[in-house]
Amino acid sequence: MRKLYVILSSVLLILSGCNMRVLDPKSQTAKGQSFLIQFSFALMMIVFTTVIVLFIWFVWKYRQTEENKHRIPEDEKGNRFFEITWTVLPIILLAVLAVPTIKITYEISASSSATPPNAVHIDVTAQQFSWTFEYQNGVVQTSELVIPKDRPVVFHLNSDDVIHSFWVPKLGGKMDVIPGKERRLIVTPDEIGTYQGKCAEFCGKEHSLMRFETIVKTQEDYKQWIQKMKRKTE
Amino acid sequence: MTFYLFDRSFYIASDVLLAYITVILSGAAIFYLITKADKWPTIKKYVTTTHHRKIGVLYLLSATLFFIRAGIEALIIRVQLAVPENDWWVFQGDKFNEAFTTHGTIMIFFVAMPLLIGLMNVAVPLQIGARDMAFPYMNAVSFWLFLAGAILVNMSFFMTASPNAGWTAYAPLSISTYTPEAGNDYYVFGLQVSGIGTILAAINMIVTIVRHRAPGMKLTRMPLFPWSTLITSFLILIAFPVLTIALYILMFDRMFGTQFFTGEAGSPIYWQHLFWIFGHPEVYIIILPAFGIFSDIISTFSKKRVFGYTSMVIAITIIGLLGFMVWVHHMFTVGLGPLVNTVFAITTMLIAVPTGIKIFNWLFTMRKGLIQLTTPMLFSLGFIPTFVVGGVTGVMLSVAAADMQYHDSYFVVAHFHYTMIGGTVLGAFAGIYYWFPKMFGIKLKETLGKWHFWLFVIGFHITFFPMHLAGLNGMPRRVYTYLPKDDVFIYNFVSTIGAFLMGLGTLAFIWNIYQSFKNPDYTGNDPWDGRTLEWAVPSPAPEHPFQPMPLVKTIDPLWEAKRNRGGKLPEAESARSAPIDVTSWQPIGLAGMMMVFSLAFIYHQTWLQIIAGIGVLSFFVIRNLTDEHVRVAREEENE
Ligand code: HEM
Ligand SMILES: [Cu+2]
Ligand SMILES: [Cu+2]
Repeated sequence: MRKLYVILSSVLLILSGCNMRVLDPKSQTAKGQSFLIQFSFALMMIVFTTVIVLFIWFVWKYRQTEENKHRIPEDEKGNRFFEITWTVLPIILLAVLAVPTIKITYEISASSSATPPNAVHIDVTAQQFSWTFEYQNGVVQTSELVIPKDRPVVFHLNSDDVIHSFWVPKLGGKMDVIPGKERRLIVTPDEIGTYQGKCAEFCGKEHSLMRFETIVKTQEDYKQWIQKMKRKTE
Repeated sequence: MTFYLFDRSFYIASDVLLAYITVILSGAAIFYLITKADKWPTIKKYVTTTHHRKIGVLYLLSATLFFIRAGIEALIIRVQLAVPENDWWVFQGDKFNEAFTTHGTIMIFFVAMPLLIGLMNVAVPLQIGARDMAFPYMNAVSFWLFLAGAILVNMSFFMTASPNAGWTAYAPLSISTYTPEAGNDYYVFGLQVSGIGTILAAINMIVTIVRHRAPGMKLTRMPLFPWSTLITSFLILIAFPVLTIALYILMFDRMFGTQFFTGEAGSPIYWQHLFWIFGHPEVYIIILPAFGIFSDIISTFSKKRVFGYTSMVIAITIIGLLGFMVWVHHMFTVGLGPLVNTVFAITTMLIAVPTGIKIFNWLFTMRKGLIQLTTPMLFSLGFIPTFVVGGVTGVMLSVAAADMQYHDSYFVVAHFHYTMIGGTVLGAFAGIYYWFPKMFGIKLKETLGKWHFWLFVIGFHITFFPMHLAGLNGMPRRVYTYLPKDDVFIYNFVSTIGAFLMGLGTLAFIWNIYQSFKNPDYTGNDPWDGRTLEWAVPSPAPEHPFQPMPLVKTIDPLWEAKRNRGGKLPEAESARSAPIDVTSWQPIGLAGMMMVFSLAFIYHQTWLQIIAGIGVLSFFVIRNLTDEHVRVAREEENE
């Protein structure tokens, strides 16, 4: 029964096309990235369509048939005008793409270097093959990350052994976790829910199992939760 | 699987056991068949040869064998990933990691590279009117060193110690602290030894192209395959030494306790820079020759010269140059800062421009031509849309901020297979069908070729298209399992079906080779109505192909001769001095000794290191004493 459900829901998913985690952003960072993905895709579809149309047209029109098989095509060296066209147009297209690329790349990394005043700080430690999250008040969690909605969360990423990568697709792109060098990542979730988190850099035997859940709660719920956890540890 | 012998228990994984049985049985069968058909003299001829065509065939043959091995691994990967939470055979955890590591390593270094270098060996000297490669002896050394490295990487599996840190071998995972087994030592030495062979091959190509072109063949009249070979060889000459150094340092970290990639002063990021300064040019090293092949084939089967020859040459050159300026696009998530990331994003985007120029030039070569859908042409036509998909996803990946989502996900796996299979592998198949007559004097069967093409290409898209979607839905690469709630099951399932179609396509290819030798279709000099010099010489190409030496006055000299001179090429007054062909056991001996030397390091046997080291050096002495140039010079004096 469960198998059937899996199959059915997957077929629906392939039909609906979107709903992809990366294209279903729940933070400002992820929204920027999702926009870039769709924008670059749209631009690239122009290129793709042009090539495919020319390709089908030429192959169809100039294929060898019984009638024309003795024809010797005319010699043709090239064509300045055409060649300049397909050099200049792509450059313009790429310039159009480069502008938001630069802008959003800078935005994402600027937001990760300044520390907002009301931020929640979490020390993330990656080790083969699990994640530990330590909150400022001493609460320690394994494989489950709880964060508040609408407040910037500063992740301080550290590794105990090899390189890992911290990735919650719905909250934004990944950041490598490198031994001996702290990396920071800031995201501000803007919707409550439970999102998948994964290690995205191959790190050894059980890399596939190095996953965690990210639970985004309202600020109220988050406060209650962290106090409850605090009491538990005491 | 554990079994008992003399009161001792031995453990051997069942996949390794099965591989032993298969290899021993098929080895025995091949031995028997060779003996029965009395083919040992032929084998000896190939083993001791220094002739470019035979060495090319050896490259292609070994590449095909390794393609089968790494292809089986691809199927294993796909079976394990076919359904969520799969527990198939032994391929979870380390076994799976070993499978994708050797799949990737072998496909890049021991399939893509030798397929292209093999075709260069077969075709380039003939296309430029050379008698042979500039250094025939060194050419044999290149091949046998490549094979020695390939055998090292392949034998690790039989020693139950496959490399398991990915083909990129990122430190510190590849350091002995985290992977103490011999596997990654095999990786280091295998790539190191074959890398020397590749560098020598590049030098050989450069000298051949610069020094041995037929009279009148200016660089501006040279066909595009030799052109891309020339540029590629320069890329190899610059990029491979970086790999050599990286591997050398890694070897020190693994074996002699240095700390280049760990600790206070060292950093794992150094490895990534070194690896990708090599690694990105490497992907152009394996695509540019394929571009050259497509240019020649599309022009031949459109019966038109290639459109925009000059811009084609400029485009390959620019791609080659830019190829060295983009390596950080593999490191956007390392945290190098927005300036670095955007600079490298822009340089990466720029590569799309010359690539686009080439695509349009190919399209316009066909325009107003007469397109013949032969098998080599079909592979070239299949390449265009496929490679364009890989190209546009490449531009999407170059958008630094967006790449933080794609990086290390299945989206990337889809992208690089679209370029490497859509480009390199289709190009190699096209080239093999096209130049097969020059190698063996027979054509491959057209009907089976078409089966091969359609099964392989349709299978390819079914396999790899869904991977884009799996990646966008958050599936990381290099995982051996996923959960039903990840919603990536259907993509993976479809992908696995496609992989088996590709397998069928490959079987059709192998069956085609068998059938073509069994019922040979002998061809004359010029089976495809070709345009360039290689079609002016007999098939298979003889040891002394150009007698008399042609004088080249245009691009496409043979085509011009067929149109205006009744097929007779103008003759040059003086021939070029020709390289001396010899037969020698030394190249294979040297490579064998290098292999022993490497094994002595992998298993820390100091005494054997010393003996094998002396052995290797002694080959240099022997070579100096037996140099054929001295002999030939004496003979000439005595005359
Ligand atoms: C013939 C059909 C092929 C199939 C079905 C296939 C399938 C795959 C799959 C599923 C992966 C991802 C493994 C993972 O991330 O867990 C992979 C990785 C890879 N493949 Fe292929 N592949 C094929 C051919 C090739 C070819 C021809 C090349 C190169 C010329 C190639 C180069 C690579 C590389 C470099 C990797 C990355 C390995 C790594 O992550 O270390 N593959 N392949
Ligand atoms: Cu991991
Ligand atoms: Cu690259």
